[in-house]
Amino acid sequence: MTENKSNEIKIKTVNLSFYYNRLHVLKDISVEFPERSISAIVGPSGQGKSTFLMIFNRLWETIPDARMEGEAFIRLKNKWVNIYDRSISLPELRRSAGMVFQTPNPLPMSIFKNISFPLKLSGVIEKQAVDEKVEFALKQAFLWEEVKDRLSDDARSLSGGQQQRLCIARALTLDPEILLLDEPTSFLDAGSGQIIEDLLLSLKESCTILLISHYMDQIRRIADRVMELSGDTSNNS
Amino acid sequence: MKRECFAETGFLGAAVLSASLTALILIFMLFLGFPLFRGGCFFTLLTTPWNPDKGLFGIYPMLAGTLSIVFLSLCWAFPLSLGASALISVIAPTGFAKFCKKTVQMLTGIPTVIYGFVGVFLLVPFIREMFASGSGMSILSASLMLSMVISPTMILIFTDTFESIPASYSAAADALGASPVQKLLYVILPYSRQGIFAGLILSVGRAMGDTLIALMLAGNAVAVPGSILDSARTLTAHIALVIAADFDSIEFKTIFAAGLVLYVFTTSLILLVRIIGGMGMKNR
Amino acid sequence: MKERFIEIFIKSFAWLSGLLLLSAAFVIIGFLLVKGVPTLSLSLIFGDTSPADALLLRRQVLTGLFPAMAGTCLLVLLSVGLATPVGLAAGIYLAEYSRGNLKSFFSLFYDILAGVPSIVIGLFGFSLAISLHHYVKEIYPCLLISALALAFLVLPYLIRTTQFAMESIPSETRLTAPALGATKLQNIAYVLFPRSLPGIASGVILAIGRCAEDTAVIMLTGVVAAAGIPGSLLSAYEALPFYIYYISSQYRDAYELQTGYGAAVILLIICACLFLAAFYLKNQLMDRMLYRQ
Repeated sequence: MTENKSNEIKIKTVNLSFYYNRLHVLKDISVEFPERSISAIVGPSGQGKSTFLMIFNRLWETIPDARMEGEAFIRLKNKWVNIYDRSISLPELRRSAGMVFQTPNPLPMSIFKNISFPLKLSGVIEKQAVDEKVEFALKQAFLWEEVKDRLSDDARSLSGGQQQRLCIARALTLDPEILLLDEPTSFLDAGSGQIIEDLLLSLKESCTILLISHYMDQIRRIADRVMELSGDTSNNS
Repeated sequence: MKRECFAETGFLGAAVLSASLTALILIFMLFLGFPLFRGGCFFTLLTTPWNPDKGLFGIYPMLAGTLSIVFLSLCWAFPLSLGASALISVIAPTGFAKFCKKTVQMLTGIPTVIYGFVGVFLLVPFIREMFASGSGMSILSASLMLSMVISPTMILIFTDTFESIPASYSAAADALGASPVQKLLYVILPYSRQGIFAGLILSVGRAMGDTLIALMLAGNAVAVPGSILDSARTLTAHIALVIAADFDSIEFKTIFAAGLVLYVFTTSLILLVRIIGGMGMKNR
Repeated sequence: MKERFIEIFIKSFAWLSGLLLLSAAFVIIGFLLVKGVPTLSLSLIFGDTSPADALLLRRQVLTGLFPAMAGTCLLVLLSVGLATPVGLAAGIYLAEYSRGNLKSFFSLFYDILAGVPSIVIGLFGFSLAISLHHYVKEIYPCLLISALALAFLVLPYLIRTTQFAMESIPSETRLTAPALGATKLQNIAYVLFPRSLPGIASGVILAIGRCAEDTAVIMLTGVVAAAGIPGSLLSAYEALPFYIYYISSQYRDAYELQTGYGAAVILLIICACLFLAAFYLKNQLMDRMLYRQ
């Protein structure tokens, strides 16, 4: 947790507020997150932690009766982008900001197809490129050795920890600049959680990671900075 | 992004096409029956008798036939369905209740024409012997068989309503020592009032829209029925029987009036169910 | 004391109605099976013609049920083939694209269409044929018109089952693909639609059942008692349910009545099979949902 202070800012929000119907969940939040770091987001449940993550890939827009005020910026390919600008292509934004959910959510298809799914979405069809990408992503997610002989198996036959790493690998296939993780270890046993923590530490060289976590010891082990979302104020420390 | 737009337009097109059928059917009925409606004759048509020899083409007898068969079949089917649903949801032991429900689900899949066929060769002779009157083709026969046709669906709607009662209500009743019947009377039935009413109305629509049972079992006589052993013709059967007639005759045009009446009736029933459903949403 | 009396009354009433319904159902089905099963034979279906000749359309079947069965099959294929693409597309629109007032407007129209009596749909089909006849002389009530009218009849069911199947997909699954950069259409095509296929398939099978059993629509739109195998989309045809109806009122001798019973049993078997298939698919869907949790 040392040299990161000199890193440039990657993500920032300005006067961000968020409402579900009339419920005011995020109040006037202005924060900055430096690149190549792991920032942990903590706070009691119901304070909009998951919502806060979804601000950065605009996934909340599929939720009815949700409304946002304020602005959010990400430095994509070294250019500051207002991600709520009209000219932004939503699929492209979501490809540069990968997200992993609390419950592993492999799609009902084979391991290989799961990993290559985002490539299919973005129109990469060349067989060799896809194969390479899949292998690279699985290696990056520490999963390659375990699944290389069974790539055509149903992804749901994997263990919970493997499924979660599969989801991380899937998010990594498109070389995202940002990784948004919503309590990725909360449903896993300690061993699987440890592997994922190591994985995140290795990923922080290439990605900016925002991580929601309930575990203080986990945060102490891997987070470079902590942001607390609570009732009225949000503190940076 | 072009493909996205194209697909959305395609989906929208299918939705609009399907919805426009609803309007198109109404427009066709109005347009083809138009000669009848000129000069406000439509309502006289609904109240005058049918006597083509004297130039009378009123569909009042068919209206009366329809209403009496529908009413009578509901008199059989509604209590029967309510009792059977209570048996399935509350009273019967689990295994038997499951068996009953499976059977009822299977019954909804039996073609109406088969009910009609068995009616002709089993129920009609039975009624004829029993009451020693005429051919046995009567409102009674038709309504009995029709109640067999509409009961399964009605039972499924009722049991669904009964089983959708929040578990906490049911648990509260159990904790207070209510017997199954008391639970049914004081918790389930009051809670299910709207569902029962909606099921009843949907069944009215189904009974009214059925053609074959009445056509095969009610005898199709064109007269206002005087007793339940009389023969009668429904609006639906009237359409089926007159379709063969000369296309330009007034007789033929009356089937569009019959179609229009059926359309308006069933549409109002659907609207009624929607209104009840809307009230249900607000209450919860 | 009064409480006790009501309790006994309600219990006996419920048992009575349940048993009455069950026995009525068993009497109806039993009567049909007892009378109909003994008549089942190859000659019931193919008459004097050899089955191979009949199936290859080398010779007309004159006295058997084969033309009626073939007519029903063609009719079902055509009408479900016409209704399915439109129904699925409209269902997808309703589930994924429409919101608020537009959505309730569309659903109201589909509900009304679902409630329109089948004979009125038949009348609509008939009027359509007559109107088209003014422009194209070859069009009379025929196989094509019947198929169209039946498609109108099952369209609202297809739309609603598609919509329901898609809307019941849990939101975690719904968000997976968009989080990976999928567009709305990609999400529908790769995730949502495949996931709702079991539900949609059971809806399609029930639609097939409705087309196979319907009599009111087809008797207004081109079915006849004797036509043989239809030669084109614009010719008249035979169908099983209409044959059953026709025999019940017009049978000339005991043998014809026997064929009526046979036809009823065959139709019952077809519908039961379709129904079981739909049921099986629906349960599969439930299993998948539970498994995903």
